[in-house]
Amino acid sequence: MRDPDPRPQPIAGGAPAAEPTFADVNRDVLATLGPPGNIYFAWMAVVGLILTCGILAWTYQIFYGMGAAGKRTPQMWAMYITTFVFWIGIGHAGTLISAVLYLFRARWRTSIYRAAEAMTIFAVLTAGLFPLIHAGRMWFAYFLLPYPNQRYLWPNFKSPLVWDVFAISTYLSISAVFFIVGLVPDIAALRDASTGWKRRVYGMLSLGWEGSDRQWRHYRRAYGLFAALATPLVLSVHSVVSWDFAMALVPGWHSTLFAPFFVDGAIFSGFAMVLVLVLPMRHFFHLHAYIRERHLDMMAKLILVTGLVLTYFYICELFTSWYSGDHFEKASLFWRLTGTYSWALATMYFCNCISPLILFWKRARTNTLVLYVVSILVLIGMWFERFNIIVPSLGHDFYPATWGIYVPTITDSTIIVGSFAWFFLLFLGFIKVMPSLSIVEVKETIPAPMKDPRHVGHH
Amino acid sequence: MNRRDFFKIVATTGATAAAAGCQQATEQILPLVVPNETLVPGVASYFATVCRECPSGCGVLARNRDGRVVKLEGNPDHPVNRGSLCARGQAALQGLYHPDRFAGPQRREGDALKPLTWDDALKLFGDKLGAVKGKKQALAVVTQLESGSLGVLLDRWTQALGGRPRVTLEPFGYEAIRAANRVTFGRDAVPYHAFEDAEVILSFGADFLETWVSNVHAARGFARMHTFRDGKAGTFIHVEPRQSLTASNADEWVRNAPGTEAAVALAVLRLMLEGGAVADKRYAEVVAGVDPKKVAEESGVPLETLQRVARTFAGARPGLAVGGGVAVTGSQATQLQVAVNMINAVAGNVGKTVRFGPDHAYGRVTPYAEVARLVQAMAAGEIEVLVLGTAVNPVFTLPGGLKAAEAIGKVPFVVSFANLPDETTALAHLVLPDTHWLESWGDYAPHEGVMGLMQPTMKPVREGRPMGDVLLTVGRAALGTEEGKGPLPWPTFEQYLRAAWEPLVKGQWEETLQHGGVWRDTPPAAVTVSPKLERVDAAPARLEGPGDGFALLAYPSLRFYDGRSATRAWLQEVPDPMTQVDWDPWVEINTQAAARLGVRQGDVVRVSSPHGAIELPAYVSASIHPGAVAIPIGHHYAPYHLRLKYVPASGPTNPMALLPGAADAVSGAPAFLSVKVTLAKTGARRPLAVLQATHDQDHREIAQHVDLATAREQALRGSRAEHPNLSMYAPQQYKGYRWGMSVDVDACIGCQACAVACQAENNVPVVGKAEAAYGRQVHWLRLERWAEGDPAHPHNMFLPMFCQHCEVAPCEPVCPVFAAYRTEEGLNGQVYNRCVGTRYCGNNCPYHVRRFNWWNYEVPAPLDLQLNPDVTVRQLGVMEKCTMCIQRIVAGKDHARDEKRAVRDGDILTACQQTCPTQAITFGNLKDEASTVSKLAHAPRAYHVLEEIGTRPGVTYLRKVVRAAHEPAPGAGKGHA
Repeated sequence: MRDPDPRPQPIAGGAPAAEPTFADVNRDVLATLGPPGNIYFAWMAVVGLILTCGILAWTYQIFYGMGAAGKRTPQMWAMYITTFVFWIGIGHAGTLISAVLYLFRARWRTSIYRAAEAMTIFAVLTAGLFPLIHAGRMWFAYFLLPYPNQRYLWPNFKSPLVWDVFAISTYLSISAVFFIVGLVPDIAALRDASTGWKRRVYGMLSLGWEGSDRQWRHYRRAYGLFAALATPLVLSVHSVVSWDFAMALVPGWHSTLFAPFFVDGAIFSGFAMVLVLVLPMRHFFHLHAYIRERHLDMMAKLILVTGLVLTYFYICELFTSWYSGDHFEKASLFWRLTGTYSWALATMYFCNCISPLILFWKRARTNTLVLYVVSILVLIGMWFERFNIIVPSLGHDFYPATWGIYVPTITDSTIIVGSFAWFFLLFLGFIKVMPSLSIVEVKETIPAPMKDPRHVGHH
Repeated sequence: MNRRDFFKIVATTGATAAAAGCQQATEQILPLVVPNETLVPGVASYFATVCRECPSGCGVLARNRDGRVVKLEGNPDHPVNRGSLCARGQAALQGLYHPDRFAGPQRREGDALKPLTWDDALKLFGDKLGAVKGKKQALAVVTQLESGSLGVLLDRWTQALGGRPRVTLEPFGYEAIRAANRVTFGRDAVPYHAFEDAEVILSFGADFLETWVSNVHAARGFARMHTFRDGKAGTFIHVEPRQSLTASNADEWVRNAPGTEAAVALAVLRLMLEGGAVADKRYAEVVAGVDPKKVAEESGVPLETLQRVARTFAGARPGLAVGGGVAVTGSQATQLQVAVNMINAVAGNVGKTVRFGPDHAYGRVTPYAEVARLVQAMAAGEIEVLVLGTAVNPVFTLPGGLKAAEAIGKVPFVVSFANLPDETTALAHLVLPDTHWLESWGDYAPHEGVMGLMQPTMKPVREGRPMGDVLLTVGRAALGTEEGKGPLPWPTFEQYLRAAWEPLVKGQWEETLQHGGVWRDTPPAAVTVSPKLERVDAAPARLEGPGDGFALLAYPSLRFYDGRSATRAWLQEVPDPMTQVDWDPWVEINTQAAARLGVRQGDVVRVSSPHGAIELPAYVSASIHPGAVAIPIGHHYAPYHLRLKYVPASGPTNPMALLPGAADAVSGAPAFLSVKVTLAKTGARRPLAVLQATHDQDHREIAQHVDLATAREQALRGSRAEHPNLSMYAPQQYKGYRWGMSVDVDACIGCQACAVACQAENNVPVVGKAEAAYGRQVHWLRLERWAEGDPAHPHNMFLPMFCQHCEVAPCEPVCPVFAAYRTEEGLNGQVYNRCVGTRYCGNNCPYHVRRFNWWNYEVPAPLDLQLNPDVTVRQLGVMEKCTMCIQRIVAGKDHARDEKRAVRDGDILTACQQTCPTQAITFGNLKDEASTVSKLAHAPRAYHVLEEIGTRPGVTYLRKVVRAAHEPAPGAGKGHA
């Protein structure tokens, strides 16, 4: 199905299905940075309000204590860690798209990678809040860092939580550097197109980019290097996060399956989030010429593939629990399937295993509505996947005397919703400040400009 | 929002960046302006006294640190408890430091009590006494059981002022035992029961492990006779309609129809006689009217069971039969006790396990019939001044049918010496708060030959005055005499006490104080069975109320006794060991009955008897007799509990409100088992806080058992098969000590004393019902009940669970900051200052014994004075858990170092071990092969909980020994276990 696009095609001359020209790219991308309209402010207001509620809830929790969140014995971890892992997972697709696909020279990545990278950074920034939100004494969270101190105390390098600190901070720094490096030529374009104080700011941020051949050569090399550096992180970060669970004893956690299982799930949910962000962007900024059906189709295929792999992992998980013969594992599994939280498990199976199957049809893969619904379902499903790993497993572990049911409170729910608001606030801000499509790389995919009088006057 | 709150919030928000914002505010400490020269800062002194939380009169050592008592421990020299205390004794400190204690005298003005000065209060009281002095029988004095000098002084005072004979009000007075002993032995006494010497105990509803007569003493004795040791283990058979804590410790619990205890006892007696126990015609006459077959039908106890019980008991050398717990005290109570006496006599136990001579102080309790007469006199307006001693609360503890509140309301002047507000002080005109027993001089003789001496263990917390002093002062004022003259010459009660004790101590006053009293052997009184015995009626107890109703079993709460301990929040929070319910009262309903009524657990049910109605949430149990419902006596609440966010039910919940006022004709006892109640669903719900998620182990072998024959065989064979070390790392090497503990599941009776002792020792906060119900209780030690077998007749095991101090501890590697770490002495340390509160350790602990500070738990003044200065008070957001009483380990090591030696076995006692009445818990050095704990860790019965996970715990459990057969003869059939 074709995208309905009532707007005149951005390409002058009326050439049939013409590729945009370099000039079109500049114009269209820079147009996304134009003064925001009312809809944008309305969205910002909603997001800001929710974020404020989240901040108030967190303040309340810090002031009165962790009891404000619905945690208990045995669920000492619950929705905060669920959402933490969720955001880390979201943060995966960006690096995958920008680095791995770059190295594999998958050209279709060009129009979405900038948005995906921004999403990665913001998702990691959101995820990074959760260890703080979650800690009983967040004001001492710096104890987890290996800083020199009088007491010669180091963090415990055996603890997966310390691995987390390193994995995530590494991931955040590499992703941020990679993101910034990729932005430099585009900021230069922005600088050239803007005036006044904006020009000065963008001028500073563009680090003196002139577009000289030497700079391009360095840029390419650096970009390739960072891509190579970021690629192993795609696998490592979520593997390390998965070890928070796999290294513990808890039945339902203690499994070697977790690292690949988590990485795959992360890519799965990451692509869903990319679609959730890119589809509205494409619609509101009229970027149909750049984010084409081909792109949607590719992403949908990746969702389908990762979804099928995830289904395989689910089956593995069930099988290994059953086949292990371990009483605790089997009891935990049986309870997850039939106990209080079975609805959550059913939701997860539906969203992650059933709903992506529709993407086997080409028409579904290019239908924005279907894609959007499937992506939202996948995000819900993936949130519940982490919930199902954490809450029911803890609720029915080794010791029957302390089995219990976790019930969310207003405080922790508000903080969770607030984290989404924080993410969207960052993303909404980003799309109005920085080019959400890579001008440079989009240009690479279209034919070089021919001699044409219409290009005179553009840089 | 006021300015302060604003600043607080600003500071807290800023704390995301600034670390110090959330630290607790610095508190100012005030040193003693003029320090007592005997007081060494940081060194505890111990004062011996007597526990007065119930009439058992256990000896206590109060641990005083810097002028304040911080912990109570049993006096190891005291013959009643030998160093142990029950949960109520441990929690007495919360009565001492109770935030609701009266600050000073109070006077009624309208509906409220208003403070007044002691001088005014004494003058007021003196004037009233002066006015009533001449009138005959217009002054009444009601006190708790005072078997020592205060009782004598009170009697003297009452007599001098022309009052009615003093009434000793003990709601559970065991009058039926006395009545039966008058009939059978011609002796009005509650004898000494030597549980420790019995081979077989047969109990007809006597809940001797909970509240019956002297529970700590009984528990110690029971442990000695019953716990498996060197191949020997006693047998305990318990007959009761409900599976009480005592019943679940029985090797065979026989469930009878409520009210048929006497019939069952008589049938057992008859079968014993038929079995040729003794050839005495007199006994045959007693049971002439008893048909065991008919009894079996009526009581629901199979004839074979009766025969087996009779055979087992007759074969015991010696046995001990006891009977008559409060719950089964009805119109047949005396008949039951007579039957019990006969059983003991026939089996030859009298003089062996049932000893007259060291008679219990219960013999001095005023029979309930007298109490009822006094209440009638009050109702008739005959009493003008009513003096109520401390710890008596007739409005709450007397049966509702007596209408005590109305009667007291008719008394023109009611003086109460209670130091905490209760239902009775609400009717008092003048409250003269007595000092707490830990602040008072006194003495108490729990039984003949044991005279416990009480001394103030610290300065009074509030402006209370000793009741004896007040009575002497006002008595003299009313009589117009002076100090040193007249019938009340002593200036203070202390001087009276010293004078009274002089002949006993003969100048050794201080030594006696240190010792805790004087005890000597009392020669056993020879008693003979009365030559003329009458036929005993075996009819079931008469129950008033509709025929299709449920027999009401109102039983004294293990935690609250008659309600006098209920103000202690520790006891409210520690769950009832059987139901695992904390805070709320409940009505226990059989599963079938509940299904019939459509009642689920937590549904509020209206329980109506001909004398009243109360509303309680239902606890559905498969084990209680289908024709009965059971309600614990004693649940009531203090204003302090409201501050812990506890909202009590609006109406009365005490089952006493359902009982008739009339006394039993034969014994003069209140008729506890005397009504049938009807149940009606109210539609409301009040979910119970049940702290244990399930009693089903789900085949995880957390509490394990072994049958007696196997245990004997294993004991002969020697040590247990050790699990191989599966770790790829070398096992930890211990340079010095390796501390470890062992818990004998066979000895544990589930009394909760350890849990409360731990709470007292380790500054464990109280969190309130809602939080506890939501898995946020902070108890370092929790007592679990694990049930096996038929739910209607479960076999229960009690398991105290606390940090297992694993050698391969799952909590340690996951802690990112080394807050949880392994010490060199085999403990799992927890550094509160280092803890960030990731709670990873709490998830990874398979035993879930790690507790988190979800909030900053408030300890309102003056309860904060009780906090143990040797133990850190934990802050919001940190993990905590059992430390094996590290402070005691450090003190023990210091002590040993001062003496230039290593720590010896027994030098260090953990708080739980110290108080355990059955000595189920042992602590010691596992590296020392000669230490008890080391031997137990390698004993054949030893196991580790969840051993297969490979945590290698430092705490070893010993399997419960189940008596597969109750028959002394080999090859007998299997029992219920």
